[in-house]
This record gives sequence, structure tokens and C-alpha cells, in this order.
Amino acid sequence: MAIDVPASAPLRARRSAGAYVTPVLAALFVIGFVFLLVKNIQHDGFAYFAEISFIGLTNGAVYALVALGYTLVYGILELINFAHGDVFMLGGMISGTMLISVFGLTASSSTGFLVVAILGSLAVAMVACGLINATIEMIAYRPLRGAPRLAPLITAIGMSFILQNIAIAWKGPSYISIPSVLPRSDVFAIGTADFTWDKFIVLLVTLPVLVALLWLVLRTRQGKAMRATAQDRDAAAMMGINVNRTISFTFLIAGGLAGSAGLLYALYFHEVRYDTGFQLGLIAFTAAVLGGIGNLPGAVLGALLIGFIQAYNEGLSWHMPGSDWTQSIVFAILILILVFRPEGLLGERTPEGG
Amino acid sequence: MPEALLQTRQLRKEFGGLVAVDDVDFTVPAGAIVSLIGPNGAGKTTFFNMLTGVYRPTAGRVEFNGEDMTGKPPHAFTHRGIGRTFQNIRLFQNMTALENVLVGMHVRLKGNLFEAILRTPRVKHEEAAARDRARELLEFSGLRRKDRELGKNLSYGDQRRLEVARALATQPKLLLLDEPTAGMNPQETADFTSFVGVLREQQGLAVLLIEHDMRVVMGVSDRVTVLDYGQKIAEGTPQEIQRNERVIEAYLGTAAVSG
Amino acid sequence: MRRRIRAAVVARWWQLLGAVGLPRERWSAQPRLLRRFVLAVVWAAIALALVALWGVWKTSAIAAAAIVIFIAVPWYERLTIRGRRVGKFVVPLCVLGLAIGYPYYGTDMPQVPIFGPFPQLSTMVVMMIFTMMALGLNVVVGYAGLLDLGYVAFYAMGAYMAGWFASNQFAKQKLDLGAVGLYQGWTGFHLSIWLILPMAGIATAIVGVLIGLPTLRLRGDYLAIVTLGFGEILPQIARNGDNLFGTSFNLTNGTGGITPIDQPGFGNWAKEHLHLPAQYATAANFDAVFFWTALALVCIVVFCSMRLRDSRLGRAWIAIREDETAAAAMGVPLMRTKTWSYATGAFFGGVAGAFYASYKSGAFPDDFFFQISVFILCMVILGGMGNIWGVIFGACFLAYLDREGLSNVGTWINGHFGTHLDVPLYEFGIFGIIIVVVMLFRPEGLIPSARIAHEMHEGVHDEPLYDHEIAGA
Repeated sequence: MAIDVPASAPLRARRSAGAYVTPVLAALFVIGFVFLLVKNIQHDGFAYFAEISFIGLTNGAVYALVALGYTLVYGILELINFAHGDVFMLGGMISGTMLISVFGLTASSSTGFLVVAILGSLAVAMVACGLINATIEMIAYRPLRGAPRLAPLITAIGMSFILQNIAIAWKGPSYISIPSVLPRSDVFAIGTADFTWDKFIVLLVTLPVLVALLWLVLRTRQGKAMRATAQDRDAAAMMGINVNRTISFTFLIAGGLAGSAGLLYALYFHEVRYDTGFQLGLIAFTAAVLGGIGNLPGAVLGALLIGFIQAYNEGLSWHMPGSDWTQSIVFAILILILVFRPEGLLGERTPEGG
Repeated sequence: MPEALLQTRQLRKEFGGLVAVDDVDFTVPAGAIVSLIGPNGAGKTTFFNMLTGVYRPTAGRVEFNGEDMTGKPPHAFTHRGIGRTFQNIRLFQNMTALENVLVGMHVRLKGNLFEAILRTPRVKHEEAAARDRARELLEFSGLRRKDRELGKNLSYGDQRRLEVARALATQPKLLLLDEPTAGMNPQETADFTSFVGVLREQQGLAVLLIEHDMRVVMGVSDRVTVLDYGQKIAEGTPQEIQRNERVIEAYLGTAAVSG
Repeated sequence: MRRRIRAAVVARWWQLLGAVGLPRERWSAQPRLLRRFVLAVVWAAIALALVALWGVWKTSAIAAAAIVIFIAVPWYERLTIRGRRVGKFVVPLCVLGLAIGYPYYGTDMPQVPIFGPFPQLSTMVVMMIFTMMALGLNVVVGYAGLLDLGYVAFYAMGAYMAGWFASNQFAKQKLDLGAVGLYQGWTGFHLSIWLILPMAGIATAIVGVLIGLPTLRLRGDYLAIVTLGFGEILPQIARNGDNLFGTSFNLTNGTGGITPIDQPGFGNWAKEHLHLPAQYATAANFDAVFFWTALALVCIVVFCSMRLRDSRLGRAWIAIREDETAAAAMGVPLMRTKTWSYATGAFFGGVAGAFYASYKSGAFPDDFFFQISVFILCMVILGGMGNIWGVIFGACFLAYLDREGLSNVGTWINGHFGTHLDVPLYEFGIFGIIIVVVMLFRPEGLIPSARIAHEMHEGVHDEPLYDHEIAGA
């Protein structure tokens, strides 16, 4: 009579009086946060607030792609793939190379060429990162499937450093910059708040990728295999699912997502460095946990929330800690979630079984 | 009438929509040997886990020695005097048999971090006494010459014995044994059955067994309780239970009763 | 499969030797002393040959070889004096003796091929400091099995403790408790470094307990990430602490760091009567006295580690690492026990940090970053989780690589192959490779404790059985 460890966040029992602690704290947070936002709107004006919100939305979209990768891998292996952020970083560098050196894109390139270049680089980045991710799984994580749980995590940390050093070896320790090739004109404007084309393109790329992912997971055989393996690996194997191949496939998809995020990052933020992945990876991982680790819509929701929180923190001026503290705020969110609501916003507390 | 050592009132455990243990009232008198039986999936181990603090009950109370223990952490149960073994053996595989038993004594020893570093006379004395007692326990469990063996290198029967020795090291008043004879041959089972009797006589322990092997149940229990689908469906002496229709039905199906 | 390969290689080796007249049985039949002697001489000969071939010969190489043979050959373990097994102390004491003497003969040692000269004294001081930290992390990761990725926070805390209480940081105060070498018109807290070391340890241990409260109830991988978070937050506070939350209270002096920080000393009385240095800062053998002090601290940490490992608490830690659920069922209070391991690790980290800040005469936020936590973790893994001597070796070796080794290797590679590699740039990639290779092929480390070797190759039965919050205590 085996007790299966659920493929989800650490469990927490209900408390009779203590059950109120979390909702009350959450309510306090939300109220406090909304209050802060309202004061800022009064201080800076709604148009500025809208502009910052657009930034948050766009950042959130990029984070969502990376967060989905974390959540997919965690769902299926219960492993925090430490190296995932660095795969994203490599995706950014590969994209940068594709856009600049291979396609020769400049600010004055025609729209048609821009589209071709973006699509081409997207394809290359996604495939390359997918393969990198799947390879890492095969050489570093698969041999440790039976080892104590911490072993693959430690290995992932090692892989993360290796990837960062590969980036240093390839492109050096300083930033590589990608010129601003996306048009900056307005798609629409709310007062003085411009929603520019470059942000729109980010969303334009993200949404189909998300839809494709959902379709893949919900409607295809491979997707079903992924979901089954995530729920119960042994049962899935007994049903004839090739577990190894499914796991490799999951890593492939997660890598692809990271690659697409890398392209968008390169296009939108213009700068990639060997440690970009580390920073963003932690943010994306927090987003995944916030939404509910193992939960796909949750990852997107969490990413958007973190995107907004970061944008407001860095953009608004009334009593906001500022960009120095973004990372600390993100970590604080992570810690609070894991302590008070480890299943995240959309996660379920799955039964222990028995 | 003997004071109830362990008592549960309306003990309930739900996992999401599944009711694993359904409002069970249960008593173990001091010094008694009680068996808990029932078909697979009846909720016996879940019940055990609530009796040792591993699971927190959804509803109901667990009282031990008159004290309400509901919802306390596992080590509190051990501290109050409930020891247990596990259905799938959970020894410390890479520790020696002696060390396994010494861990069992953790809750009865007092040395703290500072005393450990300073190796005060009290700690030295305590450790030496602990080792002696651990060896006694190993001897009592038939493992005298295996005290330096790693847990994982012991034979299956010896591992079971070590689990019991380790549980005894916690100086329990009530010992919970979860399917202790699983995988044993008839001779080992018979040995174990008399061993349980010895535990009660020599150590004054109350014992609560989950068992499937009816020879053990009938051979040593004062009382038998039957669970099915989380509910208590019968309780009584072994002979009464053997004849109980509901029990037969639960194990063998309605056909067995009517046919 | 690895075992079969190794067995096959060993069998082939003995076949070869048997062919030249030394079959395994004959070898095993020789007295142990002789066998050890032969092996030691063979290894020494190989080492001397390498050193000679590479042309970096010095006569001290022979002395070194002789010392190694002397330590390796007789089987001291059996030595008993009045019934107590003192033999096991012989080798460690010899090593300690060699370490104490290092400042005197270190510069006379031959150069090692590829790696170059033996480490300088200043490097040795840093090696000792990292050894302290690695031993501290060993208690958390190696004994209790808790993956702590934020150890650098403890290091930073210790350093800033020294910064606060042995410098001009709080210039509005004026307090002197045993400090040495104060200049004219000093201000601020100036406690004796000997006071600050334990204070820093205790303060860091308290911080460790506070961090542990929300964190230690989490499952292993989440614990790792959250400790990582704290490991990032604390240095962030250090960097922005000159204007904490806009209150203009200067806690950490921001990016500039707190400098200068007092250095240890024993005062003039001790100098006259005990020949101890009055002030380390002005001592002629500055690095040497710091080195000896660091060595003494390491000895204390080693002593504590050994005592803890063989105690009730140490057993509880290992039981938690093996099987948390069973440990709890045997009466081990999980939260409390894990917190003790965390606090102990934090204590050693804090002492190491304070000592380092005193040595460098400054606490700078740039010295504290996430990679250091992984660096120390790498030391523990390379050396073997839970094994004290292995961890010491791992720490010394990796710290040496970080300070000098990698540049030396880089110079050698560039010199011999005509490349222009900046090897130190790839430092963390190299450590990453070490981590991955060790975890894949020898997770028990180079010099493992037998216990972990079994565990790693067979797996651990640690499926959590229950709601974690019940485990609180």
C-alpha cells in the first residue's frame, strides 16, 4: 500500500482557527497593495499608471513563457530545473545572433523582412533551446532518477553554472546588445499612455505559443501522456506510456518555451548577459509557485501578477521601494506563498492518498 | 475495569472527497493486546497514522492516558508513550542496528548540543547507559550479534525485529505494530506471536496490531476490532469475530454468508 | 555496472602482476607494514619523478616524500596507551603539525606540475576561512540533509557584525572593550576581536533560527530555493543599507562597505610576557599570525563537528536525513532538530565571516553573492557530504583553485598550448562541472564516509508521509 507523493506543492493541513490566518493576511495584502496603487494613481496620474501597467503586462508575458517551462518540468519530475533560466538566456543569445548576424536586421529593415527574421529566429531559438534542455535532462537528470531527491537539484545547480560559463565563453562576460528593431509607434493610446508596437509584438508572439501549448497538452496524445506521467509515473508506465520519451518531450517543450521567451527578451529588452537567466529564472519560478506549481494557467496568472508588481515597484514613485528591491520583493512573495499557501493561487491540495 | 489507555472518539479522516476513516470509536485498555483487522483499503494504516500523529484527523479526538492528543506532532505521541513500527519497513538503512535503536532512545535521553560538544560527565554516562540498554534491547529482539550491521544488510526477518527493538527503545506504554508478520513464513510467524505475548508479560506493554494473518490474531489477541470502508463493523473476542456474519461478508463477500 | 568495470580492471591488474611473479595471494600474505611501506614508496617515487621531470625540483621534495611515508606506513590506529585508542589521533596530529609549520617551509616547497608553487600564506588564510564555512555547511547539508543555498547570508552577517563592533561605523558611540591598535581620536564601537568572534557566531545563529522558522518546515527543494532567497535578500540589504527604507540610518554603509575594521591582537602585556603579537596589524609576520589563528579556529570547528556527529543530536540529524517520517515516529522533534543544525551551521559561518572581515579590514557587499553559497556547497559535495576530512580537503582545494590555482593552471595552459584562455573567468563553470561529475559518478565525494556511499548508490526512502505542518515543534 504505497503512499504516493502528490505531484504538487508541499501539503498543509487545515487548521480550525489558523485557517483564518491565510485569508486575513491575504486580504490585508491585497488591500494594502490596492491602496498603494490608488495613491500612486493620484500622485502620477492615470495615464502614467496605464503606461506602467502596459510594461507590466509585457514583462508578465515573457515571464509566463519561462514560468510555464518550470511548471511543466516540476509537474512531471518534481524537480526544480535550476538550469531552465539559463536555457532561456541561451535562447536570448541565440536569438540575438540570429537577428543581427544571420538576418542582418537593423532599425531600418522593412516590416516584411522583420517578420521573416523574427519567425526564423523564433524557430531556431525554440528548436535549439528545446534540444539543449532535452539533452541536459538526458545526461544530467535521467541517471539520477532513483537517487535521493536533492541529487538532481544539486546537479541542476551545477548545470546552471556550466551554461552560464558557456555563454561567457561564447559571448564574453558583458552584455550583448540587440538594436531596437521593433517599431515604437503606437498601437493605441490612452491619453498620454502609449501602447506601442514593440509591446504588442511580444503579446502577439506569446499568445499563439500559449494557445499552441494548451492545445498540445489538452488535445494531443503526447499531451495526455505528459499529464498521465505527471500524475502517476508508474501507472502511466503500466498503461504503456514510454515514460522516458514523455519526459524528454516535456523538456523539449519547456526548452522551446524558454527559447521563445529568449527571443522576445532580446527583441524587447535589447540586452542579454550570461546572468540574465539567473535573475529572470528566479522571478519566473516564483511566478510558477505563485500560480500553483504544476498548474499551467496558474503559471501564466502568477507571471502576469509578478510582471505587474515589478512594473509598479520600479515605475511608480509614491513610496515604492524601487528597482533595487525588486528581487527581494519577489523572494519575499515566494517565501510567503510557500509558508502560507504552498499550493499557490490556482493549485489544488491533492489528497495524500492511503 | 481497566482504565482505557488509548481512546478515540468519532475519529474521522477525509482525503478530499474520500472518507478513509469514518467516525470510529475505539479503545485499548492498559496491558491489552488488541488486533485491528479488515480487508485491504479499509483504513487501518490511516487509522494508525492518526494514532501516532502522522495524519491530523479531519474530525474526532484521540486520547492517550487521559490526555487529548489530537493534532499533536508525531514526536509528542512518542514522548507520551506510543511506539510504532511501519508496514513497509522504515529503518534507517545506512545506520547500524545499534544506531537505529539509539535513535529510538532519542526522546528518553537528555543530552543537548552544548553537552555534546563538551562531553560532560553526564552525557558520557548517559551515552554509555544508552548503549548498554540498546544492546539489551537488541538481545531481547534476537539481534545481539548483529549490532554493527547496517540496517539495509539485515535479513528481512531481522529488519522486522530491529524495527520492533527500535520502537521498544522509545519506552512505549502502547506499541503499534503495522502488519508485523507480513512476509514471514509459518515458523517465524509463530515465533513472533509468542514474542508479542512476551512483550505484554515482561514489559507490561499494551499492543495494538494490524494484522492479516488470522493465526496471529486468534493466537494472541484479547480483543479484535474489524474495519471495513473506514467503519468499525464489529468488535469482540477473537472467537466472536470469527463467527460474526458481517465480518465474513466483508472479507469474503455476501455469497460466502448466504451460500 | 560501475562495480563490474572496477572489478574487471582490478582482476586484470592482478593478472598482470601475477605474470611477473607477484600474484594477489602472495601480496596479501606479506606483513601489513611491508605492504604499506612498498605502496608508500611507490607513490612517493612517482611523485618525485613527476616533480623531477617537470624540472621544478627542490630538495624539500625529498623531505616531503619522507614525511608522507612516515605518516602513511605504520598502522597507528592500533596504538593504545592505557587502554585508550590514541592511534587514531596520530595522523591528524601530524597533519596539524605540518600545517602549523607551513609558514616556515611553505616557500621552500617544490613547484607542483601544472599548478605551480604551493599556496601563499594569504591564500592559506582564505583556505582556512572557507574550511570553517564548509564545515558549517556540512552540518546542515551533510549531517541533517538540508540543502541550504543561502549560506552566504551567514558569512555576510558575521562580517557585518565585525564591521559594526570593531570599526568607526557607529561614530556617534564610543566604546572600547579590549581593542588593540586604536588610533588617536577614535570613535565607534571597538570590541576586542576575540569578543566579536563568538558574538558574531551567536548573532548569526539567531538570524539562522529566524530564517529557519518559516523555511525548515518546507520540503527539500523548496527549502533550497527559499534559502537561496534569503541568501540574496541579506546582501541586498547590505548593499542598500546606507539609507535603510529612506530613514537615512546608515547600517551598512552601502556599497562602500565598512572599512577599516580592527584586527586582532593580544595587547602589550601578552607581548612582553607570552611573546604573543600585540597587534596583528603591525606584526612582522602578518599573514602567518592570521593563518595560525585561522588554523586554531578550524581546529575548534572540527572538534565541535566530531563531537556533534557522535552525539544524540548528531544521530537525530542523520536519522532525519535518512527518513524524516521514521525519525519523527521515533521521537525526534523535526523542526527543533533541524533548527539546531541550521543554527550550528550559521554559527560557524558567522565566525568565519567576522574573522574574514577582520583579516581584510573591511566588510564589503561585493564580497557576498549567491555563487559563494554554491562554491561552499561544491566543497562539501566534492569532499563528501558528512565527512569531515573530505570536506576539509574539498574546501582547501577549491579555495586554493579560486585564489591561485586557476590562474596558475591558466598560465601553464597558455604557455604550453599557445592559447589565450582566461581560465579564472570560467571558474564557476569549472565548479559546475565538478558538481555535475561528482553527483553523477561519485556522489559520496572523494573521501566519503561509508554511510553516504551506501545511501547514494542505493537511494533513500524518504517519501514524506504526512502534512508537514504537523511536524512543527
